[in-house]
Amino acid sequence: MAVFIQIALVLFLSPLITGFSRTLKARLQARRGAGVFQPYRDLYKLLRKGMVIPDSASWIFSATPYVLFVTTLLAGLLIPAISATAPLSLFGGVLAVVYLLALGRFFLALGGLDAGSPFGGLGSSREMTISAIAEPALMLAVFTVAIGAGSTNLSSVAQAALGQSWHFLSPQQMLAFAALFIVLIAETGRIPVDNPATHLELTMIHEAMILEYSGPYLALIEWSAAMKQLVLMTLLVNVFFPFGLSAGWDPASIVLSLALFGGKLLLLATVVVLVETTNAKLRLFRVPELLAVAFVLSAMALISTFLF
Amino acid sequence: MFWQDPQFGNKLITLMAALVLVLQILMVAQRWLVTNIRAFGIQSFLLGCIAVTIAYFNHAPQIYLVAALTLVFKAVVLPIVLERLVTKIGIRQEIEPLVNVPISVIVSGLLTLLAYVVAESFREPAETTGPSNLGHNTLAVALSLFLIGFFMMVNRRKALTQVLGFLCLENGLFLAAISLTYGMPLLVELGIFFDLLVAVMVLGILVYRIRETFDSMDVSKLSRLRG
Repeated sequence: MAVFIQIALVLFLSPLITGFSRTLKARLQARRGAGVFQPYRDLYKLLRKGMVIPDSASWIFSATPYVLFVTTLLAGLLIPAISATAPLSLFGGVLAVVYLLALGRFFLALGGLDAGSPFGGLGSSREMTISAIAEPALMLAVFTVAIGAGSTNLSSVAQAALGQSWHFLSPQQMLAFAALFIVLIAETGRIPVDNPATHLELTMIHEAMILEYSGPYLALIEWSAAMKQLVLMTLLVNVFFPFGLSAGWDPASIVLSLALFGGKLLLLATVVVLVETTNAKLRLFRVPELLAVAFVLSAMALISTFLF
Repeated sequence: MFWQDPQFGNKLITLMAALVLVLQILMVAQRWLVTNIRAFGIQSFLLGCIAVTIAYFNHAPQIYLVAALTLVFKAVVLPIVLERLVTKIGIRQEIEPLVNVPISVIVSGLLTLLAYVVAESFREPAETTGPSNLGHNTLAVALSLFLIGFFMMVNRRKALTQVLGFLCLENGLFLAAISLTYGMPLLVELGIFFDLLVAVMVLGILVYRIRETFDSMDVSKLSRLRG
């Protein structure tokens, strides 16, 4: 039961978050925007379309969307979203989440190369460059939280966090949160790092990799991107601000914590959009500087776990 | 109430100290001069807040005065003076550090680590916190502000950015003084404030003169004598 609720949540809430941030961004730029439900319509449209597959593509090209979709969904089942016990928490902790996402990204990079277009290779190499620096920062930040809770299992982390008062006030939490926020922006391809709204721009990263995909494959990849965003945002809001997580899976508390969870996600999405609209995109060679900051912040978070 | 609990005050102070440290790292990473100056302003504001918290928990009126001075001079007046100076000399906004930014950020991380190791021997467990030893554990942050401020002065070419490094260094000193001893005697504190203010004014004029004479603020050009 819990598994089904969370699958539905991850699958059907994620396009809404994407749609919300797009609409809000449009409003902040004094445009009307396409409406909050546009990503659903896009997915529906793409799923009904035919596909064009490059001649040079091998089986990797066709396998990539499925691998990406399944790994991202599994990662979504491993983190506590509305209840403090994640449905699949017995199968793995935060390391499993990070490496499931990494597996999806690895296949996406291969898929970008496999299509044989120069843009794909360019996008893949850039994605890998960025993730090579973002991943250590993510791991260190997550370890900081795990040390505080005494376990790398996210459900225990959330439960430990629920039990503490003034939890957020400790400096290592704040440093880790700052680092994870930068990682979130880098991993979901938001503006200081990558622009999600552009096609065919020389600075694109994510869009360059998926340029050759069309139809249902593209729908799966877009959907996975939305789910990945939801997974990372959930990680941020529920590990650092765990209030509102229900202890079990009984209906009454689930509804309440669902509302709180939605509120927290929208708040985080608003912050991300504000960052996006007030910053210009960094030049590609400046991106490692931003990620170096994230890395040092999370390293400092880890150090201060032992010292404060 | 929970806001009278020294534990809470201790948490609040460590949190603000951590924010100060984050701002310091951001200043090392940030290339724009004006953003740097504003980050310095926010950092000083946070230091003022730390002083207010310590004053509140110790019922020490003279620290309120120090905090007010910090808030007025360091968080408002100095940033405005520096920004005026930037617009007046119309320099290029971008800071050009000698070591590139990722390496500088990592070096500041290492300096923070060093500061933590040094401060480790002065550390007291959080459980024994009373109002009198509030914020003792921020010594590590103070030391790292000091070290990173030094590093910023060494690492940057332009005179104005070196002034900024000096100010960060002074912020570190202030934090150490306020958290270890509840501020130096008021007279000393006032003296330091006016010293700092005058130093910035003088350095500002000096920077302006360097700019006039050499058409650049790069201090490495000062090695030759000119008639």
